[in-house]
Amino acid sequence: MSNVLRPYLAAVRSTLTAALTLEDFSSQVVERHNKPEVETRASKEVLLNPLVISRNENERVLIEPSVNSIRLSIKIKQADEIERILCHKFTRFMMQRAENFVVLRRKPVPGYDISFLITNTHTETMLKHKIVDFIIQFMEEVDKEISEMKLSLNARARIVAESYLTAVNA
Amino acid sequence: MILLEPHNTIIQTTLLDKIAKPSTLDVQFVDFDGVRFHLTSGDKKTMILLSMNIRCWDELARYGAMDILKREYGALVLDQPENEYNVSLMIDLEQVPQDPESRDAFVMSIAMLKRNALSATFERAFQEQKELETSGGKAELMEIHYRDEEAIYVQASPDRVTVIFSTIFREETDRIFGKVFLQEFVDARRQPSIQNAPQVLYTNRDPPLEIRHIAGLRSTEDTGYVTFVLFPRHFSKPDVAAATISHIQLFRDYLHYHIKCSKAYMHSRMRARVTEFQKVLNRAKAEVATGEKKTVSGRTMVHR
Amino acid sequence: MSPEVFSLSQTPITAHAFSADRKDIAVSLNSNDVQLYTRKGSDWTPTETLSEHDKLITSIDWAPVSNRIVTASQDRNAYVWTETTDAETGKLIWKPTLVLLRINRAATHVRWSPLENKFAVASGARAIAVCSFDEESNWWVAKHLKKPIRSTVLSVEWHPNNVLLAAGSADMKARVFSGYIKEVDERPAPSVWGSKLPFNTICGEYSSPAGGWVHAVGFSPSGDALAFASHDSSITIVYPGGPAIYTIRSPSLPLVTLAWTSEESIVAAGHDCKPLVYAGSEQGWQEVGTLDDSSSSRASEGSRSGFGSSSSVGRLKAGAFATFRDADSRGQSSLSGTATGLSDTKLNTIHQNTILSVRPYEVQGGYVTKVSTSAVDGTLVIWDTNEVSALAGKMGGVRI
Repeated sequence: MSNVLRPYLAAVRSTLTAALTLEDFSSQVVERHNKPEVETRASKEVLLNPLVISRNENERVLIEPSVNSIRLSIKIKQADEIERILCHKFTRFMMQRAENFVVLRRKPVPGYDISFLITNTHTETMLKHKIVDFIIQFMEEVDKEISEMKLSLNARARIVAESYLTAVNA
Repeated sequence: MILLEPHNTIIQTTLLDKIAKPSTLDVQFVDFDGVRFHLTSGDKKTMILLSMNIRCWDELARYGAMDILKREYGALVLDQPENEYNVSLMIDLEQVPQDPESRDAFVMSIAMLKRNALSATFERAFQEQKELETSGGKAELMEIHYRDEEAIYVQASPDRVTVIFSTIFREETDRIFGKVFLQEFVDARRQPSIQNAPQVLYTNRDPPLEIRHIAGLRSTEDTGYVTFVLFPRHFSKPDVAAATISHIQLFRDYLHYHIKCSKAYMHSRMRARVTEFQKVLNRAKAEVATGEKKTVSGRTMVHR
Repeated sequence: MSPEVFSLSQTPITAHAFSADRKDIAVSLNSNDVQLYTRKGSDWTPTETLSEHDKLITSIDWAPVSNRIVTASQDRNAYVWTETTDAETGKLIWKPTLVLLRINRAATHVRWSPLENKFAVASGARAIAVCSFDEESNWWVAKHLKKPIRSTVLSVEWHPNNVLLAAGSADMKARVFSGYIKEVDERPAPSVWGSKLPFNTICGEYSSPAGGWVHAVGFSPSGDALAFASHDSSITIVYPGGPAIYTIRSPSLPLVTLAWTSEESIVAAGHDCKPLVYAGSEQGWQEVGTLDDSSSSRASEGSRSGFGSSSSVGRLKAGAFATFRDADSRGQSSLSGTATGLSDTKLNTIHQNTILSVRPYEVQGGYVTKVSTSAVDGTLVIWDTNEVSALAGKMGGVRI
């Protein structure tokens, strides 16, 4: 993990651990229903203050906690056009497989690239500190993956150009 | 396989097969850029008819394609092509040279039918350039509309031959990948080993100056124009010229082929990465110790 | 004596209640049914399943003297179960009686009053239903405490005088109500909370220090002090007689349940997965330590008696198979190949997930000497309240 990222990820980790204090909460609005309050936003008193942790303008994490669910949205660093396209493809790829990922949301919150929805059923069946580990690892890996893909694209482009021009040159 | 091959593999393998064992034959197949081929054996199993349909045949004919083909294939070219096709060759299997080397060379030249047809434009441009060297001025701008919305423009000048490709990128991703690739083409001359390669220029939307005056040019976001500047050293010697022509024809297909390869590579990387993430998430799930269900034969069902 | 650990299930234990002799326990395993277990040696074996509710059972209470169980569920109903002899088989079975609470949202918490003639149900309908038995009509009648509650009531507890009721709610307030029902109660003696208390009088309303939902409330054994725990990781003790209010804020995760062990000590537990002990008096309160000594929790692993986790013997549990399965599905490679490869997934507390409920287990000479806790990881642990170990300066599980 790169050293510059360390305080940023540490802040996200501690905020997330504190926010993952979820419990079962039956809906106050509709009888016999049990919904993630952060998505329905019907009762203001069960929602907690949203929190933004940002490294700079382009890299942010938004955490919206509530009594029985928490929504975490990440804006991934995209410096140029290539990174933007790669990030878009990668997050789209993941979101299409949201069912497998249980905690992933199918559409990102507006203004962000990818969103997670963690409810009390997830914290009941999964270990909380492992969920936090997953999110942190995801944030590290995504950046790494995008830069690796960009590097491989540039390397391939160079080889392609070289081969062609050498062939024409000879 | 990084470079595309200029000959048609199907023609090559089919002919080699038939030479070894003549039998009835009727195949239709396609090549790059929508070129259609038809291989049939006539009444005699040893006479094979090869026909080709190219979209831009009329333009090629105007630039002297027929002469080139007659030069390459001699009597094999039929005066009247097969119905719905632009040019036909009649190959007599019994007249094929016997020894393996010349036989292979013969089959290879047949397989290069498309390449030879397209080479007409380039050979004429090279010739014009030689003439212009002494006389000066500019030659006629030749257009080959070899694909639906894409074309090649060739123009000879006193000191060079300019080949301009127009190409369409159907997706945003293609466009950006294409830009990365073409930027490398432009920058490649930095390397000492290919300092003498043709100069490449690239514009995104607006056509280059040389062809601006042509009517009906696309200038939308998804169009790209690539200009190759060929200098006399790229076509002064006959074998160099032949190689240049073979490669330059296939440029557009080469580019798009590699863009697609990159996309496939990205896709497989992403899939691998996503499986990794899935595994990390699975670690978060507590051990499902007792809830495993078993089938009669003792195999267990795994809870996803 | 190290804590007794019972692994009842893989699903969370939403609520638990012991019988008077502590030989039976009623639990809700995150389901619509109550599961009764009876103690056989050092294990709990299941006996009866009580099925009437059609949604998650949120709370159970077992009245020790009259031997009745009351259950409350998210289906807006409560049932009172009495043990009777079945006419046909002659065995003792539990028969339910439906209580019409007249609430239109889920019930969240239920407690018998000390004299067991009433019980209070907290609900998401922003009301508390106080139910008493009407002898003439032979059913339970509910009266609602409504004002000024503005959100879901999360927990209720009775005062020893059988009249006063404390309630913690999601509108960040803990309140003391009078639950005086004319037909059933005698006039209560005046107390620090007031005298002359008709039904629905507010005897006290206290806000949580930083505006967190009040998860748990409780009166001290004498009734002169009220403690409540809220989501802002604080626990507050109120002495209306003083008047004095002491707030202890901790850097750990919020507490969701508490129980007084004596007039001067409280055991509370929550998202930190271990019970904390607080001690004090009218002069002040502070945190004393925890009942979960992490070093001994390693030793107690051996004494962990599972009951439902019949570890299936067979090739699927064998070390090699498990190693490769873990490597494939979880990307974990442990060279030792045994369960120790999972050591980084286990917390170093006995409970592996949030503790949902702490209740007194054993009382000796007015002091609660043992408490029982049930948690989201499906374990039930009985602790000795005298074994308090200091909290080493870790921030309860938060690792950076």
